[in-house]
Amino acid sequence: MHLDAFAVIALAGAIASALILIWYLVARPQLNRVTKLALLLGIGVFPIATAGSGNYAGFEATKHREFCGSCHVMTPYLEDATDPTSTGLAAIHTRNAQFGEESCYTCHADYGMFGTIVTKMGGMRHVYLYLTEFRNKTLAEAKAEIHILRPFPSSTCRRCHTTSAPKWSEVGDHAALLKELRAGEVGCVGEGCHGPAHPWSKQP
Amino acid sequence: MNKWLRASAVLTLVALAMMVWSVLRPTPLPVMLAMSLGQAVGTAAFGIYGWVVLADLRRIRRDAKRAQELGLAEAAVEAPAAEAAVEAPAAEAAATKPPEPGS
Ligand code: HEC
Ligand code: HEC
Repeated sequence: MHLDAFAVIALAGAIASALILIWYLVARPQLNRVTKLALLLGIGVFPIATAGSGNYAGFEATKHREFCGSCHVMTPYLEDATDPTSTGLAAIHTRNAQFGEESCYTCHADYGMFGTIVTKMGGMRHVYLYLTEFRNKTLAEAKAEIHILRPFPSSTCRRCHTTSAPKWSEVGDHAALLKELRAGEVGCVGEGCHGPAHPWSKQP
Repeated sequence: MNKWLRASAVLTLVALAMMVWSVLRPTPLPVMLAMSLGQAVGTAAFGIYGWVVLADLRRIRRDAKRAQELGLAEAAVEAPAAEAAVEAPAAEAAATKPPEPGS
């Protein structure tokens, strides 16, 4: 459990609101102007503050690595990514403290204009599939079926790897495929150059 | 009326419980519950509050108007003043028995 400012605001709003509401339910005051105002705070203002900051905190939580790893079929991904001895692409990137706590989201989010929404809608689909199909599957069964929906877009890698660093350009394949790589016609991982991102899923 | 407000208060507490749960344990079930059902219940509760209070304000205004028609034409009772009168301790009495003309 980690409490950031938004979580604290959400909890404070909930406590303030609960105090007012419990007073109202227990004391049963007359509906005069004071009561109306108190209830405006207890049913309106404070809960809205709680919902706003709580939603934000919840949204942030959904980007968290542990959140992604909380369904059992994702635990091998999480374990490999956080394994300090793993040489998988996900593990290498997860070790970076800047985005490691949210490494799954960093690599798997859609970065278009409505990227966060699109990503979370996709996540809802995953939850739905989990509840309807994968909940009772063993890891071995799930492994055979879980695969990436669309080829992994190289644009996601290019958010950080610009394709213009000198050492990068020295690599023969990079130089030869520069146009295709920048146009997103050739990917970084699916083609077998980098990766596997998650060695576990590629082992027989 | 007060029954509805009590229901609204209880619904708000239910919605808040879901939100607090999601903040303290940010795992898929509580987070999704808070962001869907929690929002819906909380919004419904606030809707009930708004509806009850609006109805009550309308009643106050209607009572004031009736008081005016009952012989207070010159006194020109304004809505806010009438509301204050209604909400005085003798609220019910004031609503049915208008103040003396010219007072
Ligand atoms: C370095 C960026 C990166 C990170 C970090 C990362 N992934 Fe991936 N992930 C990929 C790529 C690239 C693929 C596509 C692999 C392919 O096409 O062969 C992939 C594929 C997947 C797949 C589809 C099945 C498969 O193995 O191909 C799942 C599920 C997945 N990732 C889950 C996760 C989870 C959970 C995390 C966090 C613990 C995570 N990923 C972190 C890059 C990443
Ligand atoms: C959020 C930024 C970010 C994204 C997105 C990202 N990388 Fe990286 N990548 C880094 C950083 C930072 C390092 C250096 C890691 C270190 O030194 O610990 C790195 C290192 C690497 C390395 C060198 C690993 C090694 O063994 O030396 C490769 C290869 C690589 N990334 C490929 C990819 C590919 C392929 C993708 C897309 C699936 C990708 N990266 C997405 C930031 C990113």
